[in-house]
Amino acid sequence: MSAEVSARQARGLTRRRTAYVLLRVSGLLLAVLVLGHFTVTHVTTDVADTDSRFIDARWASALWITWDGLMLLATIVHAVLGLWAVIADYSSGRRRRLLWGALLTVAAVVFAGGMTVLVIAVAAR
Amino acid sequence: MTVPQFLFFCAFSVVALAIIAFGVLVVRTAQVDDGGPFVSRALLARLAKPGSERAELQRWAFYLHRISGVALFAFLCLHVGDVSLFVFSRELYDEVHQVYGSTAMRIGEVGLLFGLLFHAFNGIRLVAVDVADLGLVASTRALYGVVAATVLCGGVGTVYIMAPVIG
Repeated sequence: MSAEVSARQARGLTRRRTAYVLLRVSGLLLAVLVLGHFTVTHVTTDVADTDSRFIDARWASALWITWDGLMLLATIVHAVLGLWAVIADYSSGRRRRLLWGALLTVAAVVFAGGMTVLVIAVAAR
Repeated sequence: MTVPQFLFFCAFSVVALAIIAFGVLVVRTAQVDDGGPFVSRALLARLAKPGSERAELQRWAFYLHRISGVALFAFLCLHVGDVSLFVFSRELYDEVHQVYGSTAMRIGEVGLLFGLLFHAFNGIRLVAVDVADLGLVASTRALYGVVAATVLCGGVGTVYIMAPVIG
């Protein structure tokens, strides 16, 4: 085994380890953030009452702005890492690369769109 | 039902169909890759005997985790879309958001809650399996706990979600 190959393997190992840790850390974070979000929008408030006035009240608080921003970030990280592996399992070759590209595009659009909405809504207050 | 509400409902139906299609893909691929009959009488008989065929249960947990994960991401894409209406027009947001309070959508939300709870609890189990180095027996016991917690929390949540349209 040449030195170059083992260096590449080491980089691959580091990348896989980073993905492994990021997937689990974002997952544990989401278990709290998303279940909290669901509780607030379905249990402590009925879903029919979560209208624009509900959003006004919530985004008046720094806690919920941070909560929602962090939740979106963690979701995108978790979804990209999870779906990356799912795509690798069900496709190969050119189709796999296309699906990976589509995943990154959708994730970027959802993340940028969601963050823009949050920033505009908070700035317009 | 107004046009924006109808469009939102159509988008939600597309998400639901995509989730079902992915579920079919996972189960069909599993039949090819992992072999053997799936929900058969023989499988149920094996699962009924505690201590045997524990790996079988873990495999089903893996498929459920995968399907619920894709389902949650599909719903997230729609959800970010409908919340973003808020910055374009508050009236439009409120109009579309009324769909969330309908009985049909509430049933979808119950499904969302069960998917969310299973994915969250099973995810915590997977972290625990690695961190505490759980073996097959302990991780299967943890899986029973995951299922119990999902059914319990899901049942309570269902009462909260459905109460306004039933009571």
